[in-house]
Amino acid sequence: MNRFLSIIFILFSISLPAISYEEDFIVEKFLSEKDLEKPFVNDNYNYQDTNIIPIRLKIIDSIKSEQDIYEGQVLKFKLIEDIWDQEILLLKRGTICTANVETIINNGMNGIPASIILGNFQIPNIDSNKLQSDYEKYGMDLSLIVFPLKWALTILPPTGSLTNFIKGGHAKIKNKDIITIKYFSN
Amino acid sequence: MVLFFSIVFANFVWANDEVLIEEQSIQTKINNCGLKILNANKIQKRVVFVYENKDKESILKSNDTLLNREVILYDTKYKNIENEDELAAFLSREIVTAVRSYDGIANGFLRSMQMKAAPKKFEVVADKRAVDYMVTSGYNPIGLITYIQKTSPQKKQDLVSFHNLTSKRLAIIYEYIYTKYPYYLKENPYLYSESYQNFLLTSINNRKKLEEKIKTNSKDKVKYE
Repeated sequence: MNRFLSIIFILFSISLPAISYEEDFIVEKFLSEKDLEKPFVNDNYNYQDTNIIPIRLKIIDSIKSEQDIYEGQVLKFKLIEDIWDQEILLLKRGTICTANVETIINNGMNGIPASIILGNFQIPNIDSNKLQSDYEKYGMDLSLIVFPLKWALTILPPTGSLTNFIKGGHAKIKNKDIITIKYFSN
Repeated sequence: MVLFFSIVFANFVWANDEVLIEEQSIQTKINNCGLKILNANKIQKRVVFVYENKDKESILKSNDTLLNREVILYDTKYKNIENEDELAAFLSREIVTAVRSYDGIANGFLRSMQMKAAPKKFEVVADKRAVDYMVTSGYNPIGLITYIQKTSPQKKQDLVSFHNLTSKRLAIIYEYIYTKYPYYLKENPYLYSESYQNFLLTSINNRKKLEEKIKTNSKDKVKYE
């Protein structure tokens, strides 16, 4: 009897519709062993006091073009002045800090410039969650010339379309460029 | 006869009230979510949110997000939003565009023109920044993947197109989350949802490419398909 019931049970189990879920092999291989913390969530804001301190930085090694860097690269900067919060000295001039290259946009047609978006600024003694999240540096914007030129040439087709091939400038960050990011101290 | 017309009229008014109350509740939900994203991300630019129950989108219609910094959520899109994360995903993407339109010459006029002329370039930036906005305001960025998976069609190619292939966008978002916010991939409540499962199924090749990049520690951009 038991044998009969077991066979019935096995046959029943086999005949059930199979529901198989796809597991994420990237998570299984690279993340499952890691102990990961939940990222910061800014849910305790209070904008009664909006004290914003500008932090001025300069890059240590210049970037000549967005083509010389890659997404995820860590860039080094140094502070160009002391940072004070009211009367408390937070950081001294020359302090080294870092940022990541988050996104690179290549220059495009119609004079649209390239741009480099930096994020994840890490400055000693400063809560990075209280910093402006990103900074974007553009190349030379030629679209201010290209768009009017294109419209002016529409009466002579197809010359207007030729302006499509004018490309915008490359994004550079020179070591004399001053980068200002906001620090929301409260 | 008078009684009959009175009943019909009362029914009509009641039905209209019900629609209005429902729309108001949706609008409140959208406002709360949108304003939370703006506040949590310390966005110092004004953006408003509108729920529109009739799809008035057309090619000729101007883009309100770029022009008026007004995010319009049409009911055709709202139908696909299953939870708060997906609502935040839609709003975050639009907020990125609206905020970007403030930037640059002539109070953002030129930047808006560029985004209109070459949306493909800015699409990826908007997706990545939307992930950041969602995380900072407490939403799960996987919601962006599930929302795009359900709503954006897959074109044949993107070489001669104003937009990237949806599969490519999804792979870039996935890589961005993997790099910056891996916690959400490990602790993923969407893993067994149908839309995320469908994403996993349709992104095997792209994720294999990412796997290769991680294994080899490569710094090159992955050529997703």
